[in-house]
Order: sequence, then C-alpha cells, then structure tokens
Amino acid sequence: MLKLNSIEVTYLNVIRVLHGVSMAVEDGTIVALLGANGAGKSTTLKAISGLLHVEEGEVTDGSIEWNGQRIDKNNAEEIGKLGLVQALEGRRVFGHLTTEENLMVGAFNRSDRNAIKQDLDMVYNYFPRLKDLRTNIGGYLSGGEQQMLVIGRAMMATPKLMMLDEPSLGLAPLLVEEIYDIIKRFNTEQKTSVLLVEQNVRIALSIAHYGYVMENGRIVLDGTADFLKNNEDIKEFYIGLSAMGTKKSYREVKHYKRRKRWL
Amino acid sequence: MDELLQYIITGLTVGMVYALIALGFVFVWKSSGVANLALGQLVLISSWFTYGMLVQVGLPAWIGLLLVIIFAMALGWITERFVLRPLIAQPILSLITITLGLAYLIEGLVNFIWPKSVAALPHIFPQQTIHIGTAVVSMEYLLAALISLVLFILLSLYFRYNRMGIAMRATADDQLAVQACGIPVTKIFSRSWMFACVLAAIGGVLMSSIGGITYGLVHTGLKAFSVVILGGLDSFLGAIIAGPIIGLAENVGGGYLTPLTWPGVKDVIPFIIIIIVMFLKPYGLFGEERIERI
Repeated sequence: MLKLNSIEVTYLNVIRVLHGVSMAVEDGTIVALLGANGAGKSTTLKAISGLLHVEEGEVTDGSIEWNGQRIDKNNAEEIGKLGLVQALEGRRVFGHLTTEENLMVGAFNRSDRNAIKQDLDMVYNYFPRLKDLRTNIGGYLSGGEQQMLVIGRAMMATPKLMMLDEPSLGLAPLLVEEIYDIIKRFNTEQKTSVLLVEQNVRIALSIAHYGYVMENGRIVLDGTADFLKNNEDIKEFYIGLSAMGTKKSYREVKHYKRRKRWL
Repeated sequence: MDELLQYIITGLTVGMVYALIALGFVFVWKSSGVANLALGQLVLISSWFTYGMLVQVGLPAWIGLLLVIIFAMALGWITERFVLRPLIAQPILSLITITLGLAYLIEGLVNFIWPKSVAALPHIFPQQTIHIGTAVVSMEYLLAALISLVLFILLSLYFRYNRMGIAMRATADDQLAVQACGIPVTKIFSRSWMFACVLAAIGGVLMSSIGGITYGLVHTGLKAFSVVILGGLDSFLGAIIAGPIIGLAENVGGGYLTPLTWPGVKDVIPFIIIIIVMFLKPYGLFGEERIERI
C-alpha cells in the first residue's frame, strides 16, 4: 500500500508545486488522480517514483510510505526495485530500439531469464499488436502502439504499483478505450495496483475504484469512482454535463461564474 | 602498383584502429552527450603504461596486456566517478571543458612518469611478413586489422543482445525514461567511459606496437575525431565505416602526395577531410537521422 502524508514538493528550492498532498493507493486497486494542466498530477507521480531528484525537485515536507517504509529520500533506481514503476507522460519509447528491445529495457533489473520470457509472452498476450511489431523500430510505431509499448515496458518490470501518466493523451477515443480495457484486465488478473493520472475524467473513472481531484497542488476532492461520477461539480467542470445530464450552453453563463474554484 | 596495394593495406589497418578509438568517443557521446576531448591522451597514457608493464617491469606479454586492460577500465571508472559525475546537471559545456582539463592532466602525468619522448614496445606480434600479390605486408598490420574486426563484431553483439548494451542504447534515446525503468544512468555513464578507455588502450597498444610510442599517439586521438566527424558523432556504424576511409585517404593520399609536396602531408589529410565534411555534411555520413513521425 502506498501512502502520501501531506507532502510538499519544491523545485529548485523556491518553486513550491505541491502544498500538502495526501492520498493512498490500496493494494490491488486502481486509483485515478484527476485534474487540469499544471495541477501537480505529474509532479505527484514523480515524487513517488523518485524522478523528482533528476529535475531538481524535492519533497520538502511530509512523507511517502510504501508498505510502511519511507521512500521519499530514495532514488529512482531503488524505488523501481521496490516495484513502483512509472510510465512517463507522452509515449516516451526508445526510438532507435525495436519493440522487443524496448520491453527488455523494462526488465533490466531482473535476472531470471525464464520469468522474463514468460512476462514477454504475457505482455504480447495483453497487447497482441505488439507481438506483430516485435522487430519494428520503436520510433516508427503509431501513437497508439507507442503508448501500448510504454505500458508494456512498465509491465515487464513486474510492478507492484504501476503508475501511468496520461495514457489517453493524443489518442483516438476507440484506442483509448482499448488501452483502458487492457489496464483494467491487467489489474484484475495480476492484482497490480494502478495509479492513473488523467485529464480524461470520464474514461479514468470508468475503470478506477477511487479517485482524487487536484487543483493548484492540492487535493480538492476525493471519493470512490461512483461518488465522483455522480458529483455535480465533477460532472459540470470535468465531464461537461449540467445537472440535467445535457450539454451546457456556456453562452448563458457569465464568465466569472463558469469555473468553480475550491480555493 | 605495388605501392598502391601497400598503401591500401596500411590505410585500411590504421583506419580500423582509428575506428576502434573513435567508437570509444561515440559511446560517451551517445550515452551522456559529453564530447571526450581527452581521447588522444587516453591513447598515450595506456601506451606508456603498456611500456611500463612490458619493458620497465618486464612482465610477459599476456599478463602485461591484461593489466593494461584493467588499468584502462579503472581509468574509465575513475574518470567518470571523480571527474564527470560531480558535474552532472551542470551545463554541458562545463563537462566538455573538463575533459580538456583531463587531457592536459593526463599529458602532464605521462611527462612526469615517463619523461623520455620516444620508446619502443617489445614485439608482441610475430614479425613475419606476408606477400599479398606483389605487396609485402607485415603480420603486425594484419593482426591489428583482425583484432579490430573481432572487437567490432563483439561490440555489435553486445549492443544487440546484452542487457546492459541495450540499456546503453536506450539511454542514448531517452535518459529520463531509462531512469523511470529503474536503471541507474550513472552506471551506464561509467560503463561507457570504461569502454572508451579500454578501446583507446587497445588502439594505443596496436598503434605503438607498429610505430613505437611517441607523442604522435595524441594525434591518433585527433584523427579518431576526424573519423567521428566523418561518420557522424552518434553513429557506431559511421565510425566503423569512416575509420578505414580516413585511413585510406591518409595513406594513399599521403603516399602519392608526399613526393610532390612536403613530408608530413599525410597527417594533414584527415583534418582537411574534417573541414570538407563540416562544409558539406555537418552531421557526418551517418549522423543522427531523427526519427520523427509527422
């Protein structure tokens, strides 16, 4: 179980990005972290995975615990070995490596060849399309295939908690649904916890068990997926439906009323 | 006709050794973006170290050469750990400049430990000559070419199939994503410096067993630069192909031009090639073709 206890994150010692974020990911669940651009979602993920240190950021207050062990001072390598694996935003495949080599990089910290082979088959089972493309160069894959490859690469590390940063970014709706189905299936079958950062609230809440909404570096709302789906504010501001369940005309609303702020 | 064949064989051999040294540069450049300006000095110090082991200490060749490899690995590790790592996240120019500092440090060290300017290595390779057609080629050249060829093959296998080799290529593509996979990039950097030093050392031993140890070995490093520039800074294949091209241009061109111009014109040719390449194809023959989907 992952726990964040009111963490604060500061970049370059001056720019505070997170102001006391607390959240938890129970074992085997899918948790969605929602919010607009610049809310601090990706920073939260990087704080957990230890990649913050690379970007001159630091957890200046609070603590991050994984199964009771503090990990906020650990580097990315140690955290990766604990089984917390992040797939970065923006489909960062290794452009000059083949599909299979990309997946093998994900298994870097493992030595059991048979298990790696099995997991390779497992990934190909989840993403049959990758199997057909195993010898293709990563840079030439389509956007959807690259996203699959990035998720597959995270799967290769036998994660206990898989952190996905905007897997829907820039993909066609049909493809987004396909990928989300696979994430859900992976979660149910492998019992891997998933922490999902998304702007696409509707699709994220369709598979998540629990969700947090972030704004300006704070958690402003949290609850089960059903609670959030039925929350009026979420419906209005993130899914774009008014109370009636119909599309809302923004013309009729005065501009200063349009956006609700929790702060 | 005889001399042409002679020039071609010498050129190819020397070119392959250049390529070997150039590969060391490409490793470091690809994985960490640092241009290693101490290449020639790394060749120099390992050649002198070989001299120290084989002549001054008097070890048998195979133990001595083994020690040279170990020395080179240690040198690479120390360089990365104590010279470059403290500068991680600093502007890349600082990192490149410090390799220049390293170059002079090594040169000073060499002058301090081995104050004489010229020395000869004992014969490591058999001294026979072989007749190819009408040309006479010494075994040393052929063995040097053979060793380089074997190393090229081993390295390409390493990068295709080894876990660490694949991770090194991945690092060249995306450092942050590599870290997200839980791979320590510092280990990758350190590995690439060790590679660079070992290749420089092997190149140094091959060159100095043919031509003796002189300050000219530093220029071997400089010629490896012209290989890298011709082949493309970030291309392994480019280095392997550009090496023999430079070697051929140097020896064939030099061989025919020397009687017409002045002695030493041979050594200028690689640098003339650098200038021409810079004008015509600034990324080199095989420089980064950016994979970008539109």
